Amino acid sequence: MKGSVVSLILNGVERETLVVPGTTLLSLLREHQSLTGTRRGCDQGTCGSCTVMVDGKPKLACLIPVETIVGARVETVENLALNNDLHPLQQAFIDGFATQCGFCTAGMIMAAKGLLAINPNPGRDDVIRAISGNVCRCTGYEAIVDAIMAAAKEMAKPLKKSA
Amino acid sequence: MLQTVVTPTSLAELRKALKQDSKAILTAGGTIVMPMVNQGAHGVETLISLGKLGLDAIAIKKGVATIGTAVPIAELGRHSELKFLLPVIDSIASPTIRNMATVGGNLFAKQPYGDLAVCLIALGAVATIAGAKTKRIAPVEEVTAKGLKLGELVTQISFTIPKPGTFKYTKAARRALNSASIVTVAAVLPIVKGVVANCRIALGGVAAKPVRAKSVEKLLEAKPLDYAHVKAAAAAAAKDISPFSDSYASAWYRSRVTPVHICRAILGEAANIN
Repeated sequence: MKGSVVSLILNGVERETLVVPGTTLLSLLREHQSLTGTRRGCDQGTCGSCTVMVDGKPKLACLIPVETIVGARVETVENLALNNDLHPLQQAFIDGFATQCGFCTAGMIMAAKGLLAINPNPGRDDVIRAISGNVCRCTGYEAIVDAIMAAAKEMAKPLKKSA
Repeated sequence: MLQTVVTPTSLAELRKALKQDSKAILTAGGTIVMPMVNQGAHGVETLISLGKLGLDAIAIKKGVATIGTAVPIAELGRHSELKFLLPVIDSIASPTIRNMATVGGNLFAKQPYGDLAVCLIALGAVATIAGAKTKRIAPVEEVTAKGLKLGELVTQISFTIPKPGTFKYTKAARRALNSASIVTVAAVLPIVKGVVANCRIALGGVAAKPVRAKSVEKLLEAKPLDYAHVKAAAAAAAKDISPFSDSYASAWYRSRVTPVHICRAILGEAANIN
């Protein structure tokens, strides 16, 4: 078994990682790059808690062998806050009490980010569809859907003029 | 335990990798193969990714769609001339999975998954299959029923885009979203001079492989699409299916509701009059 060096653009920075064959993107993030914001839930592609953006689209990190996406742009939840300002999705989850245990939150937020990238003004049904692959076992779905709707509204506002 | 992951960029490189390990497993989106790999005890040593072979184009010429095997299911719905497939795409897994799972992979999804394959059978789609030295073309129906020979690969799928209003689809599942099939019905029902002409109906969720509902097709042919004819034809589906029991539904339930969903797929609201 021969390891290999895999290069990815991780949260905007090119990173090289030495991995054994078949290392998943999820393992690379959590175990090699210490980016533990992305959660390992089922490892089967059914819970959505490992959702990250790969080349701008939400995908499941547990189902991607890293050798197959060499050179890809990967964005995780750690990249959302800008300096000390949380991303509107993160802020909306806090303001709307949309986290209970918090395990599914990173995946929910990344799936929501994927939706807002292609549909900045979603209806409630669009939001429900977008997170249909993300499981919350605290069953806090209503608050999560509300938070995503609120974030979409916030992001649609024109930028404030800087002082 | 995995020893190698190969990401070939040409069919020649793919052949070379297959020659080195004839038991290698092919993967594109990873949504079928990776859950098995992650569970361990799979005996697979070589994984070959189809992601960088350049088989990810959609071309539409003179009403015929040709779709690369590695096109993600989500991409199909973004094409302006394939909008008729939106209800199908929306019924398959979640948007995140659809960004990964591919058109070609869906042909090999175990029932009660593989709803797109059911539609491709109804559409009369054909698969282009690359072998070690030759290329052949086979109906998708044959590929899902018999599988491929060792070393073969589906490279693209083609079908004629149906006339507006002639494609019908319904999927019965336990939940509204992201759920496997209890019964999936896909049909192309062209009407000529008020009667059905050359219809094709395929069913999912009701046998080990997707099936053509040939008994139903036969009874519908040359008949008008009214309630009495459709109901009588749908009842014949019992001859075409061999349902199984799983955690979604029992075989008994599947066989009882199959004619109901065939009626609903074809007639919509009008199926509920009696």
